[in-house]
Amino acid sequence: MRSGANPAYYVLLSVAALFVLMPVFWMVSTSLKPETELFLAPPRLWASSPDVSAFIRVFTDYPFVDYFRNSLVVVSASTVISLAFSTLSAYGLSRFEFRGRASFLTFLLISQMFPSIMLLIPYYKIMETFGLVNTQVALILTYVSFTIPFCSWMMYGYFKSIPRELDEAASIDGAGRFATFARIVLPLTLPGVVATAIYSFVTGWNEYMFALILTSSEDMKTVPVGIGQLIGQYKIQWNDLMASSLYAIIPLMIIFIFLQRYLISGLTAGGVKS
Amino acid sequence: MALQTQARPSSQAGPGPMPQGGKSPRAARLTPHAIRDQRAGLSFISPSLLVMVALIIYPLGYGLYISFFRTNLRNQWDFVGFKFFIQTLTDPAFIHSIGVTLLFAVLVVLGNLVIGTALALILNTEMRFRTLFRAILILPWLFPDVVVALIFKWIYNPLYGLLNYGLMTVHLIDKPIAWLDDPNLAFVAVVISCIWKGYPLVMILILAGLQSIPKERYEAASLDGAGPIGSFRHITLPGLLPVLIVSIILDTVWWFKHFTIVWLMTAGGPIDATKVVSIDIYRVAFQNFDFGRASAMAVIVFVICLAISIVYRKLVRDNES
Repeated sequence: MRSGANPAYYVLLSVAALFVLMPVFWMVSTSLKPETELFLAPPRLWASSPDVSAFIRVFTDYPFVDYFRNSLVVVSASTVISLAFSTLSAYGLSRFEFRGRASFLTFLLISQMFPSIMLLIPYYKIMETFGLVNTQVALILTYVSFTIPFCSWMMYGYFKSIPRELDEAASIDGAGRFATFARIVLPLTLPGVVATAIYSFVTGWNEYMFALILTSSEDMKTVPVGIGQLIGQYKIQWNDLMASSLYAIIPLMIIFIFLQRYLISGLTAGGVKS
Repeated sequence: MALQTQARPSSQAGPGPMPQGGKSPRAARLTPHAIRDQRAGLSFISPSLLVMVALIIYPLGYGLYISFFRTNLRNQWDFVGFKFFIQTLTDPAFIHSIGVTLLFAVLVVLGNLVIGTALALILNTEMRFRTLFRAILILPWLFPDVVVALIFKWIYNPLYGLLNYGLMTVHLIDKPIAWLDDPNLAFVAVVISCIWKGYPLVMILILAGLQSIPKERYEAASLDGAGPIGSFRHITLPGLLPVLIVSIILDTVWWFKHFTIVWLMTAGGPIDATKVVSIDIYRVAFQNFDFGRASAMAVIVFVICLAISIVYRKLVRDNES
């Protein structure tokens, strides 16, 4: 498959890129429309007098500062916890034969089969019992429970690709088990760790259903819930809505631009090969 | 978690006590080395194991427990046995929503797979602007479901939306269509939005799979006189199969239980045309507060998801042998 630049490939990729970029364009164009141009039929592709007031209104007219703070706190915490736990378990799975190892691996995969809505009802009750409804802790616990199984599975594939002789050499040099893991093997899996972190961050940042049920007051809601409730309003302000959506995507874009090369190489060696 | 694992080394020199239940022949032959492996393995997985027991297994068990009660989760807890399971399985509305969900998941996964694989194969060739195209094509994966739902709802808007505007400009239609108000059109419209969001993940997974196929195999094949089609059939496809299977399993299950995009675009309507099972459960639980019945429905969905994955896994095994 290295026939070089087949023109048909460029055509296909361009069509696909157009399919991706048209909605993005419409989003940007809408966010720059003043209210007078929002409801014109037929619509204008680009505002005749574009302005950025929607981007300011998002923060002055709606509690988006709170939404962003909550999202950042919840998602950062859950990403860090899930990375720490899943690299440990993945290392254990890749290095040691122990009873229950096979069942644990199977469980990691099966945990992807649970309809999340099946957890939603018990979570709602459990969080209420422990007084955690409408707190950031509730969401951190929830997101960690989603991401640890899948991240462990991804990292397991990655650790498997690193030769065991390295561990043995380190233990001959007198390094303890945890030191071998933390100082010798873990740094070599950096692309995998980054890919896993991206996955975990994106999953948490985009989650809607649990955040909708587990938070109630405005100062505890996350960005997706905040955006989602704009559409419930009587008259939908599409420009504000699209501006806030663009804000929601920006953190992911930044992460992605800097780290995208890790994503594919991380997945290459990672769990997808099962 | 660091404490448990660091505190071990000194005690690991001796054979230590046998792990419980040393009856099986394997356990009887445990060498000191194997016992160390037992302990080390368990201590490394213990933090994740604890989280999973507390945050997945316990809530699942609790969910199962709830499904045997008529309950509002507060003061009413009437034991009803399997009543809700029988009721759900004989309820035509539930069967309908399972049907809708299956069709929805199959169409979305098929779309993801065809588009994702085709794009991954192209992106795996040596070409200019590859990185740029790859970055653009992964973009939708980064979009929150909420945002995807809202963009498409706005695009499908009958009066002010981009789609009708575009189609009318090129004279494919002459009056605006209310895409989300017609049951059939709404279903297709939702499926397309979900494919837009869903294909990049399949594309990334397959791209990763393609890059893990050793180049030497292609060189060997071309030495043996295999053309591009031959090397695709005999090297690319078999090399890709494990990734393909995993992607299909995960993608099917993910979309089978999908909620957000459909909920925000149509809330299950019009006339239940897009009432996927997650929406059905959500409504029963958080709008009718019939938590027991909703839990029973969720348990049934879990069994279906598990069945899907078992069937796939069986297919893989048959294929491998």
